[in-house]
Amino acid sequence: MIERAVPRTEQLRKPTMYSSVLVVLLCLALPAFASKPDSVPDWVRTAAQQKHPEYSPETNAVVLLEDTTYTVAPDGTAVEHYRRVTKILRPHGREEGIVAVPFDKDTKILSMHVWSIGPDGHEYAVKDNEMAEYGYPGQGNLFEDIKVRAANPPGRDPGGIVAYEFDQRSHPYLTEKTWFFQSDLPRLNQSFTLELPPGFTHGTVWAHSKKVAATDLEHQRWRWDLKDTPPIDLDHVTLRPSAFSLQGRMTVHYAGPSIPAPTEGTWQSIGQWYQSISKDRLVATPEIAVKANELAAGKTDFYDKTEAIAEFVQKQVRYFVIEMGIGGYQPHFAGDIFRNRYGDCKDKATLLTAMLSTVGIHGALVMVDHRRGVVDPDAPSIVGDHMIAAIEIPKGYSSPKLRSVVTSKTGRQYLIFDPTWEKTAFGQLEHNLQGGYGVLMEGNDSQVIQFPVLPPDLNTIRRTATFQLQPDGTLKGTVTEKRFGDLSERRRSLYTTADAKEQTQFLDRVLGQDFTSFTVSDFKVENAEALNKDLTTSYALAANRFGKSMGPLLMIRPRVLGSENLYTDHKKRQDVPINLDETMQEHDDYTIELPAGYAVDEMPDPIKLDLGFASYESSSTVKDNVLHYTRTYTVREVTLPPDRYPDVQKLSSIIAADEEGNAVLKKQ
Amino acid sequence: MNISGPCILRLALFSTLVSLSSAPALAQQWTVPTPEELSMTSQPEVPGAPAVYLFREETTDDKLHMFSIYTRIKVLTERGKEYSNVELSYAKVTDGGGFTVEDIQGRTIHSDGTIIPFTGKPYEKLVEKTQGIKVMSKVFTLPDVEVGSILEYRYKLRYSDNRYKSPDWYIQTDLWTRKSHYLWKPINLNGNIILTGERGQTKSFIAWASVLPQGAAVTQTQLVGTDQSLIELNVHDIPPAPEEEFMPPITSFTYRVLFYYAGYRTEDEFWKNEGKYWAKTQDKFIGPGSAVTAAVKDLVLPTDTPDQKLRKLYAAVMKLENTRYTRQHSTAEEKAQGFKEVHNTDDIWTRKRGSDDQLTALFVAMARAVGLKAYVGIVTNRDRNLFIKSYLTLSQLDDVIAIVNVDGKDLYFDPGTRFCPFGHLAWKHTLASGIRQVDAGSGYFNAPGEPYTFSRVQRVANLTLNQQGEVTGTITMTYMGDPAIRWRLRYLEGDSASLDREIRTSVEHLMPAGIELKVASIAKLEDYEQPLAANIEVKGTLGSSTGKRVLLPGDIFESNAKPSFPHEKRDIPVYFEYPQMVQDAVRIHFPKTLSIESLPPTDKTAYEKAISYTLVSESAADSFTVRRNYILGEILFYPPQYANFRTFYSKMENKDQETVVLTTAKATPAGN
Repeated sequence: MIERAVPRTEQLRKPTMYSSVLVVLLCLALPAFASKPDSVPDWVRTAAQQKHPEYSPETNAVVLLEDTTYTVAPDGTAVEHYRRVTKILRPHGREEGIVAVPFDKDTKILSMHVWSIGPDGHEYAVKDNEMAEYGYPGQGNLFEDIKVRAANPPGRDPGGIVAYEFDQRSHPYLTEKTWFFQSDLPRLNQSFTLELPPGFTHGTVWAHSKKVAATDLEHQRWRWDLKDTPPIDLDHVTLRPSAFSLQGRMTVHYAGPSIPAPTEGTWQSIGQWYQSISKDRLVATPEIAVKANELAAGKTDFYDKTEAIAEFVQKQVRYFVIEMGIGGYQPHFAGDIFRNRYGDCKDKATLLTAMLSTVGIHGALVMVDHRRGVVDPDAPSIVGDHMIAAIEIPKGYSSPKLRSVVTSKTGRQYLIFDPTWEKTAFGQLEHNLQGGYGVLMEGNDSQVIQFPVLPPDLNTIRRTATFQLQPDGTLKGTVTEKRFGDLSERRRSLYTTADAKEQTQFLDRVLGQDFTSFTVSDFKVENAEALNKDLTTSYALAANRFGKSMGPLLMIRPRVLGSENLYTDHKKRQDVPINLDETMQEHDDYTIELPAGYAVDEMPDPIKLDLGFASYESSSTVKDNVLHYTRTYTVREVTLPPDRYPDVQKLSSIIAADEEGNAVLKKQ
Repeated sequence: MNISGPCILRLALFSTLVSLSSAPALAQQWTVPTPEELSMTSQPEVPGAPAVYLFREETTDDKLHMFSIYTRIKVLTERGKEYSNVELSYAKVTDGGGFTVEDIQGRTIHSDGTIIPFTGKPYEKLVEKTQGIKVMSKVFTLPDVEVGSILEYRYKLRYSDNRYKSPDWYIQTDLWTRKSHYLWKPINLNGNIILTGERGQTKSFIAWASVLPQGAAVTQTQLVGTDQSLIELNVHDIPPAPEEEFMPPITSFTYRVLFYYAGYRTEDEFWKNEGKYWAKTQDKFIGPGSAVTAAVKDLVLPTDTPDQKLRKLYAAVMKLENTRYTRQHSTAEEKAQGFKEVHNTDDIWTRKRGSDDQLTALFVAMARAVGLKAYVGIVTNRDRNLFIKSYLTLSQLDDVIAIVNVDGKDLYFDPGTRFCPFGHLAWKHTLASGIRQVDAGSGYFNAPGEPYTFSRVQRVANLTLNQQGEVTGTITMTYMGDPAIRWRLRYLEGDSASLDREIRTSVEHLMPAGIELKVASIAKLEDYEQPLAANIEVKGTLGSSTGKRVLLPGDIFESNAKPSFPHEKRDIPVYFEYPQMVQDAVRIHFPKTLSIESLPPTDKTAYEKAISYTLVSESAADSFTVRRNYILGEILFYPPQYANFRTFYSKMENKDQETVVLTTAKATPAGN
């Protein structure tokens, strides 16, 4: 049936240039095609006959062979030849047998062949016309011209083998190639071969892995070999970092007489290369200058001026982009972005930089990855998926409002700001970037910089409540909750964009975590738009049967509402860092007026625990028949080494116990 | 809401040659916004809504082979800006069919009246390119959009000259719609053009199925002096489509009008004729052929009763690979294994594998081969949708089930759902409607439901608490009926390692924090007639201590539960998937240094005759036992019932949270 075209819009999506996951998901719906029985090449058969170690029962598949040959032509263009043989080990591994090779208009697939061997030994070859092509799915606000050529080979059952090879052009504007040699599957034999024309030189950098020496194959050819590369499978690991931040990779940089701005394995050269493709995009138009000066009018203070312009870009330029080819790296012209009022992350950073330049403030782009740890300071490359801005702070200027400040090697200070992150206050930086690295694109002064970890008091929840407990267990009172920083992000979004029904249902779900039946009235929200002020919500609450009546006893939970959810499991931590996500502080202060005729028989013990990276204190006291509960939970670090996991488990269990602690009231 | 049957429009008897050439395009005018539209900041009926449709128009012109779409949207919040991003998908097929999207125009109007025209070129995006079909999208976004902007765009959707496509008017969207206008200028079916369906059947009528708000109606008029009829609908103030938890499968019941070129005058005529063709096609596939006939001779004894025969045949089908839960095999694989194309149930039996529907057909073939009267029926799966008789298309029907008449009584079977017990149906097929084979062709039918006793979960914990507050022991989860089918299918789609993990995770979600679980064994994994039992080892900490007391959850299986119905208001019915029964028994042994101070008092309550709940607690010198029974007998509860229904749930869920109090002092137990 022919489908009718309908307009479609979707949820706002955080920016990313990384698409392989979606590409693979796309192909799950690929139909199985008929293919002509055929024999597979010898290299497939040889790889398939290899013995492999016993893996855990939850290993989906094993990569038996992966070979890459990267051949650079004298004009600097390159072709990649790739081979891979995968053995499916369990039913869930069938998905690993779906072949999907990404390409775009600049990275044409020159040839592609797919074979498979069923568990019963039958060999298959997929014909060209049995392959399909899929586009990157529309995201409502992000469209890329990346496509995949895909095949669904026969025999994809446990014990089956899937193999493929292809030749593909590389992006002509890049002079580096990254070999991602580690994934969620074990890999037995891998190699990467580099072939350069005469007169070309190369260097390698290694991230998340020890450097491996190359074998010189002579005549400008080198090969790196790896055996038994273990998987990075974090599916069932609690408090896990991004797998991509742990997976090993090698980046080869090459240079030759025909390449004008190669990336030579230094952050400086990467910045110089980026400047060559972005410099003209940063130029401000007269319209931009008019708007920037209008926003800065009457403001003499550096912070005030930059805040006005930054918030304009943050709030008035919506996230929407169509990326094609080099558009994945190169921003649009600032003038176009300003006129259309839309763009992607690098467009927003570009417009911000251009606008600031018209009021005498220097800014620069900073390439990052939204997953902390992916950008490795010791492995210069363009691996990353996001662009933010660095705003140079005038010498001698200081302000407590400038929180995310970095000093470069040149001695210049920058405020790091992400105009794409719509709910992060100017002066701060979203938590997932804190502690990570980025590439400051400053031409010859380009360098890698580390972002600060902001103190806990810039990311807070403060709840206060006053309640009266009725003899039948009903709790009535008023609650005020103040949030600041990233901990307010979701709620600010909710209270600025969601409709009334959605807002009500959200609060119902939140309170449903702590009460089985309740009513809310007089709900108020303040400062949802004002990112540099506390988001304040307040309401009156009545919760039936909050106090559990058990004969003469009435039991109540002093920690009335609000939960931490620091979940840990009971397993021994493998060699995976602990991701605490963000620094923060939560403070609760509740008073509960107890019903007449009841006296406190028992109270939970106070808690005071300081583990360095985090602390937790709570106490329950009674005075004049009023129970007073306070607690403060502080997280000071974002990442911990694996050996601190027992401490995190201890913290988790102490918080859980405190949250479930009961005060026992006894009828007099 | 008014759900009407198919309306048949007999077009004018006179005919003229239909021009297939495009008419000159009329100059298209944009709408001048009213001052109220420019200044509005909200729509009172949907407070906080991101945007509203001010106007939507869809015109279908058969002679031009074209749809025209015109949209005006008012942006009310930041989120509403997303409606400025438009993706128009269309498909092309190699035989010349398909659509193209043309003449995209748009503009943004600020609340001060400033107009910013869309001047960009839409991006052409590949969606899918396979043999014979290429799906593309045209993507564009309107410029300089602000909160308060009016977004306005139009485009045309053209299709090939040798085809006609009747419109489907989907009136209810995710936004409030102030006003919509729909117009269809159909071809004159009595003229020189003859429309035919897939089997060459003549389509001489226009029919439609509609779900419309009160007062709205499709009208038809005839242009004077021409053979052109106009089919039209005007609606206004259409609320957004409902979206709730526990919602019935009513996606087919949002406001809409679905048109067809039809060959039948009435819905009964359609289902009788198309059903007959479907039944005949099924018979051709079912047979039984020689292979199935021979096979059943080895499977049953002549002396077996019909019930014995059916059980043996059912068991034989259940042993085959059901590719719905594994994967389909390509033609290349089939050839490599010496199989030719599938034509009938003999081919399925020979392969020892088939799809769910093919295996159901095989079971029916086997039943026929042993001399029983057996049929297939096809239903609209209740997890997705409901069967609409007035919607004249077989495409709304999903899965095939088997019906065998024994001693004059129809018995229903679900051999296409692997691990469904003999004589039962998977829940999505129960109470579902559709058509079935009968001796003289086909007829409507309603599949039977299952009682709550069919789907049961028993959760039994036997734990021991030590002096240090640690618990050890076992949990046994026993699944019957649909819960057992669900877990067995998860096993089929994965393996025992994945099933262990999934069951452990599901039980962990029930447990209080601090409990560690390990699945020790899973019994009767493939024996679908028996309960599936997971034995789980438990250790960890439980409850909280207050010095001289230990507080333990009464029913640990409910200690993590959250309110099912936290929202006070409800506009649409509450819908559960199937009736069921959950039975808990929790016994906790404690050290002699402790004694029971308080137990949750026994409670028994019910909501009407639909739901019942009991909680019983018992104490012994060194242990207590809490038993809980929850029976859900019905699956649909209407909005007027909601307040009392919610009160019942609230009371039950509060009761579930009651604790057991142990004390170091000798105490007289309270409660029970």
